Amino acid sequence: MKYFPLLIFALLLSSCKGQEEVQKTEKKEYLRWVDDIAFDPLLDDSTFVSCNGEENVFQYFNDSKGMLYKGGKPLIDSAFAKNYHPKKSWDDSGLVRIRFIVNCKGQADRFRLLTSDFNYQPKEFDKRITNQLMEVTKSLDGWETMYLRETPVDYYQYLLFKIVDGQIINILP
Amino acid sequence: MRQLQTMAAASLLFACFSLKAQPNCSYFLCLGDTAQYNACKLVEENIGGHYQFSREFHQLMDSAIAICPRFAYAYREKAAPYVKSGNFIQYMKNMELAVKHDPGTYLPIRASVRCKFFADHQGAIDDINLFLSTHKGDIPSSHNGTYHLLVVKALCYKNLNQPDTAIAILEKLFATEGYYLGGFDYLHLGVLYLETGQYEKALSTFESQKQQNNLAEHEYYWAVTLNKLKQKEEAKAHLAKARELLVPGTQMHDPYHEMIDQIYLVDIEKLEAQL
Repeated sequence: MKYFPLLIFALLLSSCKGQEEVQKTEKKEYLRWVDDIAFDPLLDDSTFVSCNGEENVFQYFNDSKGMLYKGGKPLIDSAFAKNYHPKKSWDDSGLVRIRFIVNCKGQADRFRLLTSDFNYQPKEFDKRITNQLMEVTKSLDGWETMYLRETPVDYYQYLLFKIVDGQIINILP
Repeated sequence: MRQLQTMAAASLLFACFSLKAQPNCSYFLCLGDTAQYNACKLVEENIGGHYQFSREFHQLMDSAIAICPRFAYAYREKAAPYVKSGNFIQYMKNMELAVKHDPGTYLPIRASVRCKFFADHQGAIDDINLFLSTHKGDIPSSHNGTYHLLVVKALCYKNLNQPDTAIAILEKLFATEGYYLGGFDYLHLGVLYLETGQYEKALSTFESQKQQNNLAEHEYYWAVTLNKLKQKEEAKAHLAKARELLVPGTQMHDPYHEMIDQIYLVDIEKLEAQL
């Protein structure tokens, strides 16, 4: 019991230290939403427009209907089965994500690549693989418009590929 | 534009689970961990309606971490939007820290996310095994509550082409006294029986699934099984039921992700063409 005042003092000290750290915290630079894709004139189609402005691009799950692709995921799988042609000599493995915006007309652009090894460490992927994945992704033409309260909106979508020795093992989400 | 902003606020609440999952700050105070209590209170008092993806949300979590770098909850919250944008690098970077500071809470979550979102089946099994090696008491569910953690483990083995291991895990789990069956448990076990040629067991398991949760999926796989057994007329009847049930409410659905053993209209049409 005799140590009780000391304990209170220690707790208060800890508390004060905490407040001080808050004030010192530097605000990190974030976009409107994490992982937003800003327009890049070197990469993007300048004629592609997000119908409701950059501040109103949603996420693919915001209508809770799942991936909005005509015919569903099997048609995406078959597009890659048909059009992705890995060579036996390709031996790169890891995760590849291609993320993009689908606008309210069902058009897609702003494609961006993210790659890692199986330990989730960023890495340069064999470009022969990622170029083909990108090409097939860009050729997909079944994206559907998302409606929120009957209003057509723009949204972010992504495809994630698990690649082993150049072969597609899984396509997600 | 105002309408869109209102819609944004309303629809995004759907995806903002942070308040529901927020820890009880008083718990940290009881432990005498004032720094963690302060970090927790900062979040509790300022979270407001901030969307998980938003700048404000992440700045708030950064501030909480600055108060207490051991506040695992903040790392998990920072990780959450990244899994929804498919950003496996940022997700794992943040979850590493959440798991480091609170493995008991966050290993099961990371395990099921690795399985579901990144097809990292071996990584998920490793996380589950690590969790089970130290955990005492009830085993929790997956990150979204759909599955018992051992069902996640079984589904990972299925994806690693080890169906017998998956079946053994599920059979043992379902026979455990007090186990509360999940909505898709029998379906997955039935499909595993089908895939390993145990057709009679598959049929009885689909019947159990029907009694528990009537879905298009088990009717479809029922038809597949009957087709294997050359019972085409009965297969047609189950396929017709599958088509009828392939509507919201009686089909597998996850807003974020295709589910294991989920079917589509194209699957039904392909089988119809074979019968």
